[in-house]
Amino acid sequence: MRILLAEDDTLLGDGLRAGLRQAGFQVDWVRDGAAAERELRAQPYAAAVLDLGLPLMDGMDVLASVRRAGVTLPVLVLTARDAVPDRIRGLDSGADDYVVKPIDLDELAARLRALVRRAHGQPQETLQAQGVCLDPAGRSVTRDGQPVALSAREFDLLQALMLSAGRVLSREQLEQQLYSWGREVESNAVEVHVHHLRKKLGAELIQTVRGVGYLLPRDGDTP
Amino acid sequence: MSPGLPRSLQGRLLAGLLGAVVVVWLAAGLATWQDARHELDELLDGHLAQAAALLVAQQAGATDEHAPGIDAPQLHHYAPRVAFQVWHEGRLALRSANAPATPMVGAEALARSAPATAARPGRHAERLRGHGDRGTPDDAGDFRLGFHTVALADSDWRVFTAQGAERDVQVFVGEQLSSRRAILWAVLRSTLWPLALALPLLALVIWAVVRQGTAPLRRLGQQLARRAPQALAPLPLEGLPTEMLPPLAALNGLFERITAMVETERRFTADAAHELRTPIAAIRTQAQVALAETDDGERRHALRATLAGCDRATRLVDQLLTLSRLEAGAAPPMATLDLGALAQRVAAELAPGALRRRQTLGLDAAPGCTVQGNDTLLAVLLRNLVDNALRYSPDGAEVRLSVQPLAGGVQLRVEDSGPGLAEAERQRLGERFFRVLGSGQSGSGLGWSIVRRIAAAHGARVDVDRAEALGGLSVTVHWPAPAPG
Repeated sequence: MRILLAEDDTLLGDGLRAGLRQAGFQVDWVRDGAAAERELRAQPYAAAVLDLGLPLMDGMDVLASVRRAGVTLPVLVLTARDAVPDRIRGLDSGADDYVVKPIDLDELAARLRALVRRAHGQPQETLQAQGVCLDPAGRSVTRDGQPVALSAREFDLLQALMLSAGRVLSREQLEQQLYSWGREVESNAVEVHVHHLRKKLGAELIQTVRGVGYLLPRDGDTP
Repeated sequence: MSPGLPRSLQGRLLAGLLGAVVVVWLAAGLATWQDARHELDELLDGHLAQAAALLVAQQAGATDEHAPGIDAPQLHHYAPRVAFQVWHEGRLALRSANAPATPMVGAEALARSAPATAARPGRHAERLRGHGDRGTPDDAGDFRLGFHTVALADSDWRVFTAQGAERDVQVFVGEQLSSRRAILWAVLRSTLWPLALALPLLALVIWAVVRQGTAPLRRLGQQLARRAPQALAPLPLEGLPTEMLPPLAALNGLFERITAMVETERRFTADAAHELRTPIAAIRTQAQVALAETDDGERRHALRATLAGCDRATRLVDQLLTLSRLEAGAAPPMATLDLGALAQRVAAELAPGALRRRQTLGLDAAPGCTVQGNDTLLAVLLRNLVDNALRYSPDGAEVRLSVQPLAGGVQLRVEDSGPGLAEAERQRLGERFFRVLGSGQSGSGLGWSIVRRIAAAHGARVDVDRAEALGGLSVTVHWPAPAPG
């Protein structure tokens, strides 16, 4: 899952990026509000971690601006301002979660996963489709109860498809969701990963819509 | 407030108004008394003189009767208070029943009181005498015409003395003074009684009017009492009496200042929370990353970042402690010290760090630039200024430090070739926790507060400007010439 991290503090930002990567996220890190607003409007992030005291544009203003622009991604506000009015203002301005520094990295990752899951209308902790079960927290996949070993990229791709089960995702959308900045994306990377996933989990799991993209049918959509 | 006065405004107004009314009434009563007594005296004296004239006229034809007669018919209940005597050749020729057998006014009393009482005999006496000079002694000795106040038997009498047509006839007509007093009292009573009866009613009316008048005050009191302690909105002034406006306007001004103070404090707390929590959050996060990291290089990076975070937290704590000591306001011990030598020491301290970043740190100190100051605090000030200049300037930048005499005082200047600051940012420097955003440096914004406070404690002025030569920021601290003597 690709997320945007907006934090102006060098040491904290560096640590958060490293920690969230360890938890399996693709992290793009911006250090000011203007950049955060620009990126949130332009890229299909799964979620955003937003500090409030950002240079150039306050985190609260960033949030209000992108919400006005119709960006619905889940936003976790990470801030040192712990006063109740601040929390209320944060949540009312469109934040989905409000966390006061310092925070445990595992908790932050878990909150992000929960936000993403809920944003996709998935109340369950694990994602299920056609006998395939994906556990975002444990980053593990089973097929008919049997564990299946996936590479990090394959896992991310499968998670993206399962989160949007029943909808067609274009190759570009998938690439944008899978790769953070500075990672070289080979032109056929998505095709290769889909190929591997079909081999490991069954050919019918992921369907190709020619000229459009890929689709993972919801349970019940298939005959 | 004197202990005798009622504490409530209403009580004071009521007491004051009622007191004033009573005093005015009493004064009016006194004036009425004086006036009535004067008029009554004139009237009754007139009657006495008139009665005397009648007696004189009657006696003119009856002086031959030698037997002393008593004219006794009492025609009116007032009669016992009036008495008369007619003397002829030293004998009592005629008298009323209640008149004594001796002259009502003795010879010596006549002589003694004559000048005073004869001074105002009244019109009747003038007409009665008709002829002769009343001031001239005559055959009847020193008998005079006029009014006398004498004590007879058990009461005081007002007596009019007159001379008959013949010189040896003397007429006395007297009246008890107590009767006059009784009339006066009756007059006064009739004046004061209604007023005394009206007093409670008036008190009630005054009480009601005053209560009505002070109602806005009571309403304001209730309004203030009902207010939540945090409510600092200004009080509405519409429809209030003009006397209440100045104190209320002052109160609203106070509310405004408190609001501003609370807002500043709130912002400070929020900023402080950010500045204190962020370094700790960074340390925690980096340590957690290091713990979970399997890649050796990544783990070392995270551990180094953890240490950097600890250094930053240490500096922050030092700065906070310095600031709190400065804010505690204890005057630091001062001594005469060479600012150039101090600048040299600080520059030497910071030079190694500058060299690592290929920055040039130069000092230009004129000899003999001494100021009154505290060695430790001025070292902190210098370190903050030079450290700021180095920190916010890029690698390879130049920082110039100069100490020069200026206008009898001393001027310290730190210039750099860094990015400098916009005018708006320069003005906000020194607000606690104000940090120039986007600088990429992890400062707390406390350094400037410290610099300003130390300068203020030394009576020095801090100016921030653009560095003319180097293009970056220029900070000037100016100690004015020491006061003569």
